[in-house]
Amino acid sequence: MTNIPIIIMLAVLCLVGIGFYALLTTRNLIKVIIALQILVKGGLLALVLAGRIQGQVMVGQSMALTAIVADTIVAVVGLALAVQVRKHHGTIDLKQLTKLKR
Amino acid sequence: MASTLILLVIGLPWIGALLVWWIGDKRSALQHALAIAFSVASGAAAVVLIFNASASTVISLDAGGVFGQFTFVADGLGVYLAAIATVIGSLAVIFSVNYMHGEKGLGRYYAMVLFFIGGMAGLVLTSNLLLMFLFWEITALCSYALIAFNNDDPKAVAGGIKALIITQLGGIGLLAGALILYSQTGSYDFNQMIANPGLINPQLLAGMAFGCLIAAAAKSAQFPFFTWLPDAMEAPTPISALIHAATMVNAGVYLLARFFPAFEAVPGWKTSVIIVGMVSAFISAIMALFAYDLKRVLAYSTISQLGYMVFAIGCGGIYASQFHLFSHSIFKALLFLSAGAIIHSVGTRDMREMGGLGKKMPFTRVVFIIGALALAGIPILNGFWSKELVLEAGLTNGPVWAYIIMLITAGLTAFYTFRMVWMVFFGKPSEKHVHDAQPAMKVALAPLALGAVVAWLLAGPFASMLQSTLPAHKIHALSTIEIMMEVIKAPATYIALAVVALGLVAWWQRKNLTGIGKAFHWLGYAANNSFGFEAVNKFIVRETQAVAEELRDTQTGLLNWNIAGLLIGLIAVIIILVMGG
Amino acid sequence: MINALVAVAMIICAIQAIRVKKLLTSALWLAGCSAMVALMLYLIGAPEIAVIELSVGAGLVTVLFVFAINIIGDEKPVLEPGIPPLVAWALIILSIGILAYLNLPLLSVVIPDLAEIPMASTTIWNDRMLDVILQVLLIFVGVLGVIGLISDSKAKEINQ
Repeated sequence: MTNIPIIIMLAVLCLVGIGFYALLTTRNLIKVIIALQILVKGGLLALVLAGRIQGQVMVGQSMALTAIVADTIVAVVGLALAVQVRKHHGTIDLKQLTKLKR
Repeated sequence: MASTLILLVIGLPWIGALLVWWIGDKRSALQHALAIAFSVASGAAAVVLIFNASASTVISLDAGGVFGQFTFVADGLGVYLAAIATVIGSLAVIFSVNYMHGEKGLGRYYAMVLFFIGGMAGLVLTSNLLLMFLFWEITALCSYALIAFNNDDPKAVAGGIKALIITQLGGIGLLAGALILYSQTGSYDFNQMIANPGLINPQLLAGMAFGCLIAAAAKSAQFPFFTWLPDAMEAPTPISALIHAATMVNAGVYLLARFFPAFEAVPGWKTSVIIVGMVSAFISAIMALFAYDLKRVLAYSTISQLGYMVFAIGCGGIYASQFHLFSHSIFKALLFLSAGAIIHSVGTRDMREMGGLGKKMPFTRVVFIIGALALAGIPILNGFWSKELVLEAGLTNGPVWAYIIMLITAGLTAFYTFRMVWMVFFGKPSEKHVHDAQPAMKVALAPLALGAVVAWLLAGPFASMLQSTLPAHKIHALSTIEIMMEVIKAPATYIALAVVALGLVAWWQRKNLTGIGKAFHWLGYAANNSFGFEAVNKFIVRETQAVAEELRDTQTGLLNWNIAGLLIGLIAVIIILVMGG
Repeated sequence: MINALVAVAMIICAIQAIRVKKLLTSALWLAGCSAMVALMLYLIGAPEIAVIELSVGAGLVTVLFVFAINIIGDEKPVLEPGIPPLVAWALIILSIGILAYLNLPLLSVVIPDLAEIPMASTTIWNDRMLDVILQVLLIFVGVLGVIGLISDSKAKEINQ
């Protein structure tokens, strides 16, 4: 187990798994955004690791930078949405936000 | 040159559709004008394209690895159908100016009509089977949208959904054919397959042949899929003229004609085609005898004439079938549009409430009778020449029993045609207040009537164009005079004329024949129920809608379920990747 | 050795982030996870990205979360899971298991030593100019989105 890439990859897989599990089971909108963040962190790690193994650190880092920016924007807009949803519908429970469903 | 023309023919109606919809319903006069302008421009481009027809690929757009090349070919089969679609389309649009005057939702109507015209032109001009499937589905969509145009009338909506489901289920056959072609030859271009059918494994070729036959039968309302066409008559009449008489239902015949050299060696295929055409022609002629709705009679006669074309293809007479398609488009559009003028002025579609309209609608009477004579196959008009060519092809190449049934159908055609003309224009005058056709309607009807009288003169050049641009179909072209001589000299012509005369006499003497009529009373009952096929098709439609309602429960809208679906898809993709190596 | 420790800490933080009931605590555990990820990135040999991740993930996003949770209110709803936990576990184990199986060749890979590290600024601004433009666009769109969302409530408050 002294092999570094395998440790990091296991960590990445665990993060992705945790993120997906939370997306599958949670009904709270804020928890959904937190789960998305965890998921993207796993992706970040994988990107940088891949760049490092191939010897092109900078390429991996610039892709990771784009991912961080995108993910932050998602968190920002998502939280603004959550605040508005709370104001208009009074709940952030996903099961009760079904106004569009016939 | 040809490439720009093809782009114009397909693209102009689509641009027109977007513009008409965007302008909005408040400026309806502008909408009418724009629709006419774009459809006429597209018709002009299509006519010019006829002179530039060639057998080679004209446009080739690379669409990436899986979809291959989007190719367009301007060969004889395609350009004349594109010309028919756009020219008759523009005439129907001109007719709509009066027919749809003051209706709500005009933007939706014109947008769908123009979209359809572009889609139909694209269907016949492309040589990529996947792209042809795409255009096929576009025409089916527009047909549904236009049948159900009066969407607060439940009969219209039900008719539209029925047409949609039946033609879509048939389209699956076409998609299967496209995928088989791709898997065997690596591209969707069917021209190489038509030139060399040996490229495909024989069993898969048989599958493809019957898949295309099913798709064509569903689209062209042939046996056993024919019950959607009479119910599609809820559409506004210019739509019935354009889509359900002159263009979309010809797509199935076009498909069979296009693929004939590839499929003719498949055992049993030609016989199946002959049987499908023959049964459709015969059954629908019988059903037309007993119908009282004017548009329904015309719908049944459309199915019957399409049966003639399919029968001709089965007997190997590609040129005869295409020539009959050409004549049929003209006179059937003429009949439908004049029926539209009649229905618009009288206000009802039931022929029992019409009668004696001849005095008050002289112009309409003349054009309607011209169309009816062409339909019955009276000499000099274009229906006569083409029908005789079809029957001759049947006599020389097809089985005798099929020829006899088609001959009897020709007599039945004459009978119901004259019944229709009599019930509408002669006989006891109805008490309704009628007016003759309005100006825009006359502008649309006159060229069609002229075409019904003289268009058969184009037979020779048409044949030579087909021969020069379709090398695989082995068409033997003659000039117009030679065709005329051939028809006049063939004994089949006189047999057919005798049967038509018999039909006429039977109508004239119908009072003396009421005894026979009573004996066939049960036939009338069966005909009104479409010989049981209506029940089958109702069942298919009902089951499809039930399945769709069940599947709707999977759309929960809950994030958790959506993510679960995502993960399942991810697992499936990864497993496929792992197994694929 | 230290890699393994950081990895374990990262995973514990993530698990705690989704397990606790109070939203505020959950956001703080997320901050901890971000910090661990930043450390891990530094240990791999990508210090620039580590710094950015630390400041954005552990700083900006956490502050945003705290703000939003304060506005929303932090009652402790007790909700059953959207999908039965067994099904969720099965799906996760299946997908992650297959992905792990696909990653087995990594056992034989060793991180090479870096001969020469190019400047971050050259790579980002020259080679990946398109990415930078994309990011600027994204930030612009995000700002517009948030303004659109928030202004609605201000207008309503003024009307009331």
